Amino acid sequence: MRYMLRRLGWFLLTLWAAISLNFLLPRMMPGSPADAAIAKLSQNGPVTEETRAAVEAQLGVPDGNLLQQYVDYLGQILSLDFGISYAFYPEPVSTLVAQALPYTLILVGLVTIASFAIGTLLGVLAAWKRGTWLDALPTVGGSFINTFPYFWTALLLLFLLGYVLHLFPTFGAYSATTMPALSVEFVLDALYHAALPAFTMLITSLGGWIIGMRNAMITTLGEDHVTFAEANGIPGRTVALKYAARNAILPNLTGFGMALGGVVGGSVLVEQVFGYPGIGFLLFNAVTGQDYPLMQAIFLMITISVLVANLLVDILYGILDPRTRR
Amino acid sequence: MSAPTGKTPPHGGPDAASTDAASTDGSGGPGRTTGGDPAGARAPRSPVLSALVGGLRIIWGNRKARIGLIILGLFVLLAVLAPLLAPYDPKDNTFERNLDASAQHWLGTTAAGEDVLSQVIYGARISLLVGFGAGGISTVISVVIGLSWGYLTGVLADVVNFVVNMFLVIPGLPLMIVVATYLSNGGISMIIVVIAITGWAWGARVLRSQTRTLRGRDFVESARFSGERAPRIIFREILPNMTSLIAGGFFGSATAAILAEAGLEYLGLGDSTVISWGTMIYWAQNSNAMLTGQWALLFAPGLCIALLATSLTLINFGIDGISNPRLREGSTGR
Amino acid sequence: MSTAPTTAQRTEGTNEPLLSVQNLSVVYEPVGAEPTHAVRDVSFDVGRGEFLGLVGESGSGKSTLGFALTALAKAPARIENGRVLFGDTDIAHMDREALRTQRQGGFAMVLQAGMNTLNPVRTIRKHFDDIFAAHQHVPAARREERAAELVGRVSLGPEVLDRYPFELSGGMRQRITIALALSLEPQLMVFDEPTTALDVLVQHAVMDTIRALQAEEGFTAILISHDLGVVLESAHRVLVMHDGRIVEDAPSADILRRPQHEYTRMLLSHFADPRAEHVRLPGLEEPEVTGPAVGEDTPSRAVAPARSARSRSGAGPSLADGLQLVVSGVTKRYAPPRRPAAPVLAVDDVSFTLAPGGATALVGQSGSGKSTLARMITGVERPTEGTVRLGDLDLGTLRRRRLRDLRRTVQMVFQDPYAALNPLNTVEYTLSRAISNLTDVPRDGVRRRMFELLETVGLTPVEQYARKLPHQLSGGQRQRVVIARALASDPQVMIADEPVSMLDVSLRAGVLALLRDLREHTGMSLLYITHDLLSARLITDDILVLHEGRVVEQGPTAQVMRHPRDEYTIRLLDAIPDPGRVHGV
Repeated sequence: MRYMLRRLGWFLLTLWAAISLNFLLPRMMPGSPADAAIAKLSQNGPVTEETRAAVEAQLGVPDGNLLQQYVDYLGQILSLDFGISYAFYPEPVSTLVAQALPYTLILVGLVTIASFAIGTLLGVLAAWKRGTWLDALPTVGGSFINTFPYFWTALLLLFLLGYVLHLFPTFGAYSATTMPALSVEFVLDALYHAALPAFTMLITSLGGWIIGMRNAMITTLGEDHVTFAEANGIPGRTVALKYAARNAILPNLTGFGMALGGVVGGSVLVEQVFGYPGIGFLLFNAVTGQDYPLMQAIFLMITISVLVANLLVDILYGILDPRTRR
Repeated sequence: MSAPTGKTPPHGGPDAASTDAASTDGSGGPGRTTGGDPAGARAPRSPVLSALVGGLRIIWGNRKARIGLIILGLFVLLAVLAPLLAPYDPKDNTFERNLDASAQHWLGTTAAGEDVLSQVIYGARISLLVGFGAGGISTVISVVIGLSWGYLTGVLADVVNFVVNMFLVIPGLPLMIVVATYLSNGGISMIIVVIAITGWAWGARVLRSQTRTLRGRDFVESARFSGERAPRIIFREILPNMTSLIAGGFFGSATAAILAEAGLEYLGLGDSTVISWGTMIYWAQNSNAMLTGQWALLFAPGLCIALLATSLTLINFGIDGISNPRLREGSTGR
Repeated sequence: MSTAPTTAQRTEGTNEPLLSVQNLSVVYEPVGAEPTHAVRDVSFDVGRGEFLGLVGESGSGKSTLGFALTALAKAPARIENGRVLFGDTDIAHMDREALRTQRQGGFAMVLQAGMNTLNPVRTIRKHFDDIFAAHQHVPAARREERAAELVGRVSLGPEVLDRYPFELSGGMRQRITIALALSLEPQLMVFDEPTTALDVLVQHAVMDTIRALQAEEGFTAILISHDLGVVLESAHRVLVMHDGRIVEDAPSADILRRPQHEYTRMLLSHFADPRAEHVRLPGLEEPEVTGPAVGEDTPSRAVAPARSARSRSGAGPSLADGLQLVVSGVTKRYAPPRRPAAPVLAVDDVSFTLAPGGATALVGQSGSGKSTLARMITGVERPTEGTVRLGDLDLGTLRRRRLRDLRRTVQMVFQDPYAALNPLNTVEYTLSRAISNLTDVPRDGVRRRMFELLETVGLTPVEQYARKLPHQLSGGQRQRVVIARALASDPQVMIADEPVSMLDVSLRAGVLALLRDLREHTGMSLLYITHDLLSARLITDDILVLHEGRVVEQGPTAQVMRHPRDEYTIRLLDAIPDPGRVHGV
């Protein structure tokens, strides 16, 4: 219980820090992002005083009272008001984010869980069958693919399977002919479109989990309690699963929480390649359009998602390791 | 060694001792480098150096790491000898556009009429520069923070703990994208700095936990009893014992930096006039190379990135073997 | 416990050996290093019901042999040659699955006591269930009952079954390990240093349990240990191992009475009973006995009696008159690990005086507060109550800067010579740093002073040793370097925290003799912290027995050992193995 409370406290503290970082970033930058943004905004028409105030609350007023700005900013965050997008004027940022978020959450969430599960299993197998092809293939193959740039793997797959073989769609989350709805037809179409991005992320992130689990498992296999279990004639499969893998998964789980940020970052690039209308694609559009409010909001969203995922991992860890319960 | 000293009784023989006095001079100064170590200078080979040589031998003894070192060596040669090896000036855009591979242009030409092969060769320079530059800077940051954080206790350590964990969970690439956007068109040095300041946390964490372990060892307590001050204990006693971890961290961050640089360049966040593998793919994408079927334009730079990153990862397999003997190749558990 | 030999005698007549080792050689082949032969051409038989001891120092190959006997040898160890016949089957070359099933009703191994022989994330009950499920030798309905019965055999209650290993003490975990091995109903049980990491009293109790079990269950036992006393007391027959070979194989009583091999005689000579009227080890006699110390290991030629050392202390290098260390009413409390608990009382109202040139032993088990006390005397920690005074100086109020000055007068010898030297620094570096930091020796004199120190601790030729790295030195040599480092500043108080507990017995006497001679020559006072009563008897004048932070007995060392008054001291002394009594020698 103490462990859970500590993790929750850490989560809230990090959340606050992330929100504050988001506040500080544009204000620490040389030049004035706010001025640049207002100049950009004025291309769409005259800028009202209200809009100017909103922009400054987000991006900073030169020589303004920092504390007052901070309070205003927190107020905006709490009311989920992230301002107006410049790139998609006059859409509010919150609407844009809300539209894109489900795609990314489902895509990245499912792929990450799947790749962690598969990678962990392969890592267990590799360590248990150390020195055989079951070890060499996933370890060498995984670490090789792991070093491919995300976007390059994505481009290759898109080129081969999309443009050359025409097996998969080359753009978007669903066909132009279907409308988003909760119908079988739409879901199937969406899955078809998600397949290639998902596959890309799966194979590029798999290697890390395999190697992490393999190394943790090899370390565990050298421990005395494994030797003692073997001395007691406990069958290999039980030793591998209940004595080695069960313990080795704990450090790997910690690594999982930490590496999550990397996977989410990679998804930004993957979505861009496939034109998949998730958060990453939106971030790319915000960056190219110098749409600071949108960019800020997306960064905050991504960070919060990763923090929440980390909290979930911590809770799982607490359940798996009895030592945290004391 | 002079013969007389061997027979010198404990309280006698000032002359015998003075023959050796000169060589002990350095002992008072801060031995920041291994060469400054008086003992090391006298011994046939400094202990840190011999540990390094021993480490290199283990790395070279690992088949995977050896392949990695060879690939890395080739890329370094490619970068250094680029002017000699490249058939054309990489910025020379006087050729016909969108050419397929031919005897004149082994990998074809770009949409702007530049030779792809020459660009690939010159691109090695940027990737190596960013990889080793950003990897080096973030390693230095992680060493300084990781070691001090591991050695210190109290409130300050808690604060550092929070900051490092914070940097660990914040997704790196999006943070880099945001910062790079604000610093639009800062060029390669900007990219190096951005990657370095977002990429040091993992190394710091690893080094910190190792420092914690070593800090509890008697030899650290013993150094304290020898009157050593904290900075010297951290950097002269503890640091050299973590060489393999630091080297591993360096290659790890260099790999991450190379991939991150390519990603940022690909998004158009770097200086798109610089010739790097990332910008090549950026321009290829922008000129719809995929539709025109110019696969070499997409394929070659990406493969180079992957190969370079792979070589560093392979080297790290060997280094892992030093810090964790159980992972050494060939020591099969069953 | 005199039952063990009788059990063995009862079954001695069995002509068919249970285990027959024939020309066994085991080679270690670590990657990137030269292969070493850990076990060389070893042959012996073990009869049914016999209690066999296997004794040897570190690196003798005894543990490697134990692992080979239970078919647990793993890479980088490899059985190069020979056979291990268990009954009629050669278990050294056996199919994995056949080997696995053979373990039930066959051979079991109890690993060295430590944190790690039990899976930290599984309850004790699950450990038993895994074994029952693996061999199906206990019907499912009886398993619960059987597990409770087994933990009962090792004197634990059934409630431990629902505990996790981290919730149990070291001694309890080792008992569980024994119970788990017992659940296999083995004919042969190999105990590899079963009590090494445990406290003396716990060691004693666990060994009693092992002996009782062996007598009742009648299994064949092989006890592997570095401790000749424990082995001789328990085993009927002893194999002495040295350098991978068995150098002597004889009944325990014969080993005690008529050791044949030189190495066995050497091991025996380092074994003594601190309760005896006179105690001596090679090169080391107890302080009261006047006369020159024998042994080439001692650096000094003439050794003056301890009493006269004090009078000579005035001539010491840096002091007009020795400083007296006075500990009065010292208490140390630590904040509890968890909020609602009471503070941990590590040291409770301890007072004593260490006279200049005196030698006092602080004896106690782990957790007795002896190390905390040492940390307060070295100024690393401050007492919660009471004062530690050195001369006029109150150590409890020292500032950090002054603490560095304190290193000139109070120095420390650490427990583990393998950890107390930085593996990357040469001996010269280690010593030179202490000299230039703590003394006023001019730069050009540092090297000379370093050679002096090496000479003092007997590491000659000094130039050769100065250049060495720790891994090029033996344990005893390393500990001499550690002592030389502590001597660099001519300290007036030397604190030695278990300085020989990590060393092989044959090396201990030399280091102890060095400490004692140094005290007598330099006039420094020695605070000797230990759990080992024998060494305390040999090098100290006075003793304090600590138990749970309190001093339970205090007095001249020899008197306390021979006529202990406190019940705890008596228990400590009784826990010392006494093979002579068992074997009637």
